[in-house]
Amino acid sequence: MRLIDEMSGIMQMRSWRWAMVAVAATAILSVGCKPAGEAGGTTPAANPTAEAGGTPTAAVRPAVTAKGNEAAGDTIKLGIVGSMGGDLRPWGVDSVDGAKLAVKEFNELGGLNGKKVELLVEDSNSRPEQGKSAAEKLIQDGAIGVMGEVASGITIQIAQSAFDKGIPVVAIGATRDDISDVGNNFFRVCYTDSFQGPVMAKFAFDELSLKNIALMTDKSQPYSTGLSDSFRKKFEALGGTIADEQFYQSKETQFGGQLTNLKAKNPDGIFLSGYFTEVGQIARQAREAGIKATFLGGDGWDSQKLLTIGGDAILGGFFCNHYNNTEARPEVKSFMDKWSKEYGNTPGTTMGALGYDAATLMLDALKRATAANSAALIVALEDTTDFKSVTGSITLKGRNGNPAKRALVVEVKKPTGQVARKSYEFDQVMQ
Amino acid sequence: MFWIVRILSILAVVGLCFGIQAFALSQTLVAPRLFALTGLYVTLAVSLNLINGITGQFSIGHAAFYQIGAVVAGFLSVRFFADQPLAGPVWLMAMGVVGGLAASLAGLAVGLPSLRLRGDYLAIVTLGFGEIIRIIVLNTDAVGASYGLNVKPKLQFIWMIWLLAALCIAVSRNLLKTVWGLAFLGVREDEIASNAMGVNVTKIKVMAFILGSAFAGAAGAMLAHYEGFINPSMFSMDLSFIVLTMVVLGGSGSITGSVLAAIALFLLPEFLRSAPPVTGSALVAGALSTAVSVAALRWVTHHVHGETRRKVLAYGAGLAGSVTLFLLLRLLLGNVPSLAGISFEASKLRMVIFAATLIILMMLRPQGVFAHHEFSWKWVGRLFGRTNAGVKA
Amino acid sequence: MEFGSIALASLDFGTLPQQLVNGLLLGAIYALVALGYTMVYGVLRLINFAHGEVFMLGAYAALFVSWRLGFSEAGLVSNPNLASSALNLVLMLLVSMTTGAIVGVLIEFFAYRPLRNEPRIAALITAIGVSLLLQYGGALILPNSPQPSIDERINPYRSAVVLQLKGADAHFEGDIQQAQGKYDIAKTAFDTALTREKAQFGIDSEFDLRDQSPRKTVQAAESDLKRLQSEKESSEVRVVIPQGQLIMLITSLGLMLILRWLVMKTKVGRNMRAVAHDFDTASLMGINVNRVISFTFFIGSALAGAGAMMNATFLGTPLDTFYGVKLGVKAFVAAVLGGIGNIPGAVLGGLVMGVAETLVVWAGYSSYRDAIALVILIVVLLFRPGGLLGSSKVEKV
Repeated sequence: MRLIDEMSGIMQMRSWRWAMVAVAATAILSVGCKPAGEAGGTTPAANPTAEAGGTPTAAVRPAVTAKGNEAAGDTIKLGIVGSMGGDLRPWGVDSVDGAKLAVKEFNELGGLNGKKVELLVEDSNSRPEQGKSAAEKLIQDGAIGVMGEVASGITIQIAQSAFDKGIPVVAIGATRDDISDVGNNFFRVCYTDSFQGPVMAKFAFDELSLKNIALMTDKSQPYSTGLSDSFRKKFEALGGTIADEQFYQSKETQFGGQLTNLKAKNPDGIFLSGYFTEVGQIARQAREAGIKATFLGGDGWDSQKLLTIGGDAILGGFFCNHYNNTEARPEVKSFMDKWSKEYGNTPGTTMGALGYDAATLMLDALKRATAANSAALIVALEDTTDFKSVTGSITLKGRNGNPAKRALVVEVKKPTGQVARKSYEFDQVMQ
Repeated sequence: MFWIVRILSILAVVGLCFGIQAFALSQTLVAPRLFALTGLYVTLAVSLNLINGITGQFSIGHAAFYQIGAVVAGFLSVRFFADQPLAGPVWLMAMGVVGGLAASLAGLAVGLPSLRLRGDYLAIVTLGFGEIIRIIVLNTDAVGASYGLNVKPKLQFIWMIWLLAALCIAVSRNLLKTVWGLAFLGVREDEIASNAMGVNVTKIKVMAFILGSAFAGAAGAMLAHYEGFINPSMFSMDLSFIVLTMVVLGGSGSITGSVLAAIALFLLPEFLRSAPPVTGSALVAGALSTAVSVAALRWVTHHVHGETRRKVLAYGAGLAGSVTLFLLLRLLLGNVPSLAGISFEASKLRMVIFAATLIILMMLRPQGVFAHHEFSWKWVGRLFGRTNAGVKA
Repeated sequence: MEFGSIALASLDFGTLPQQLVNGLLLGAIYALVALGYTMVYGVLRLINFAHGEVFMLGAYAALFVSWRLGFSEAGLVSNPNLASSALNLVLMLLVSMTTGAIVGVLIEFFAYRPLRNEPRIAALITAIGVSLLLQYGGALILPNSPQPSIDERINPYRSAVVLQLKGADAHFEGDIQQAQGKYDIAKTAFDTALTREKAQFGIDSEFDLRDQSPRKTVQAAESDLKRLQSEKESSEVRVVIPQGQLIMLITSLGLMLILRWLVMKTKVGRNMRAVAHDFDTASLMGINVNRVISFTFFIGSALAGAGAMMNATFLGTPLDTFYGVKLGVKAFVAAVLGGIGNIPGAVLGGLVMGVAETLVVWAGYSSYRDAIALVILIVVLLFRPGGLLGSSKVEKV
């Protein structure tokens, strides 16, 4: 009490106010620093960073210990977490539509020996904590397997909850590598950032002869920070230089400051590793600021809104995507047919096909599983070899849940929005 | 006698906490979480009430203290729990204390500079402080930055959460019974007069912030260990506003009010989740009839005086009228296809209902439901006819 | 964020003029909105939390007008070459200002006026309630997700104004000419090769060229040329102001000057100042206080609407109903910074905030840009509780 007495008396004095400001500033600055050691505690796995996320890593994933769910009665329940609200809505809705299509198709073809599959849908509202409770609700409602999500930040929470309960997760569009380290119940149908970044690096270096690239990273999105990292590593390994890295946060609208900093380093390309909402605006403002560099990015660009937001500025940019609606492969053609028959349009984003793939993979594993329960499903998923999906061939066996998918680099062009330019098989890029 | 009553009361309260936990766990899988979160919100509301209601300082950044407690406790648990000998519950209590200490340091940091600021300025400083904390956490990789922090181990002790709530209530209430407490009330009522009477206004304000933030921080520590995952977006400005609504609804200065309002305002939207979708026509009808009834009830408040019976009748008529109006409008508007066609999920209306509650409350009863009244055994006694005063008023 | 690796020496002072200009442009928007806050506080001693939502609704009004004018997604698909004119912009501005004004007046009438005689905290809480109601209620009705944005083609002024403060280094002229020459040669060779291979092998694009060497040559030449051009620009000290943002700055200044004239030279303005100074005495002097207050809200909200329209149109920011929240808090902080109730103070506060925020980004700490505003506020209030231009006297009895 006395201490506060004196302190309050002192507070009236000017000099002490200055001192307080100084102390507070130092405190804030030191908190903002990275600690000397490893930034610990974000993931429970022993080795959170996976250098070569797609290839089998030396670290063995923790095995599931919980019992999981068992399909009871005549219906088998599968769950899907989708962002039906919030910023990720276009992707979430597409992914759920794709999964619904796959389940409907499966049931129409007879289901699993006559047993129908019921797809339970929960909304994550584009938020990680809601995704977590959505997954938990699905598990509680009896789903023996869960699909989702499209964003890494949400998916890691789903994977964690599912691991605790022994349920397999098939991720749809989450590309961040360290999610696989959560446990051996986690699988995905998409490629990982440790592949996507190098693909773009190789494309930029080999195809576009860009040598000096700047990075614009969305610091508030784990997807973006991971992607920028893997791009940087590969690009520097190929012999290119990274001119500068600037950061922004999702929902920011003014990038003038960061762009002015970037421009001074004279990059010939700018890697925009974030999501399309900000990427579009950054492109616009960059062109207004007189930056003539080529824009590059990852699958976060994939949205019809990119053209609206980015306007003319984003045309001629290149990004890495999972597949393209116009591909000549039979799987793509039949998928497009089925989709337009069911929904009367074409899928707006690649998440439609990826959602479909996640569901068909899960259903295929269900057929191969020895029993209709979570544990058997995990084993069957792990055993997947050369599963022919819309977005490419998926092999999960021995790969820690990360398939060696191929990537397609597309150019942003009107009117379709994307024109396929170059495809990269996994082994071409990851040696 | 005094001590026997005291000790028995404490034992009863502790027993009640365990009873709540047992009851919660016997329910369905989702319910224990509801009980836990309700307990946390009660603590938050009562601790905010200490700052806003009892001391009259307008603080609208309470989520910051909650977050600091959660982040600090979560971080320490992830780093140190595995290597230390204490058992789960003891560790959690320790974390609660640590969280509370960390948050009270923040409370000190907010309290000291704000001494010279008047109510409105203080509000914006506290709001700003909440945002600063959120941004700092968002940029600190060690506590998960934007990814969030996975707190291991998950220590889910509902009884401890409610024990904390009980402690918070006890401290608030007992504070008011001491001479200190009167000083708090004095600062609320008239700062200058209190200062003239010799109360160290500065010290009181700072104490209020420290106490309020300490409890919020302890609650944050509990949250981190219960949920197992914390993320900066869980501690947004909206959370501060929700807790503020709870305090305002219950009645600033009334601990009972804060407790009941916290429980009500938290559980109500949870029931909304399973409610059927609301059609556009019902929504518009609801909005219109609410507006009309608020206006009508305000008129009643200002123009109808006299006997209680008359007032009750007038209010009753007003309420009945508004319900009728609502049903009528909904029927009418149901014929408008553009309105009847769209429907809104009940859960999306949660914040809208909160906002409307705030406005309606300020229009009709700004002092809150309970105003400054508290629950007391005397009041219960009066219910059963045992009064000290024999004369009817 | 590694503090150790960022030393003061690594700050690029060449970009400082551009950053300062960026800051001023940003500050102009903050100033417009801060004016609304400060005027309302001046007359009512109330923090109008709902002001951010007035801003948001003004932006949506501009959006809907742009859709009406044919610049919606559907409209642009059917009419992709739709040209715009200054008239469109003026129309959007007027509609935004009117919408803002009407919403502001309505909020005052229905939410604040009934509570005039209640303790101030009641009005404050009501303000918070109205703000939340508009945000979440609006989310139910207005297009929110995916976030709509005003198409850039409605702005006919999309080039940039370039101010050169220092010319480029002399050697660049010759170097660029050389590089240009090399590039022209390489491009002709590349174009010939591409046409030839298209005719011969039927390839689709340059990516499928069988002989990649002309492509590599032209890419190398192009990259050299671009790099030289970029280095030339870097060696200059130049400030690039997109035309749209220049219009924003001029309009904001114009509106502020009109406001100053209004407040200082007209009878209404004098009434406003009187009410701000002493509410009761003003009403005793025969001023219709209610009308003055409504007018204050009218003007303040109109300014916010103008700011919103310009922000949404010239910067193309995607809209959602929470668009006004962050900016509202920052603008309010700006108003307090300058001294709440003080009109020049709001402008000063807005500009200071804009510049401070941009300088933080320039220094490399862009993640903290939102926090800096609040930190500045707290520091300023520590030493001058009345704000920069407000009084520093402590209230004495």
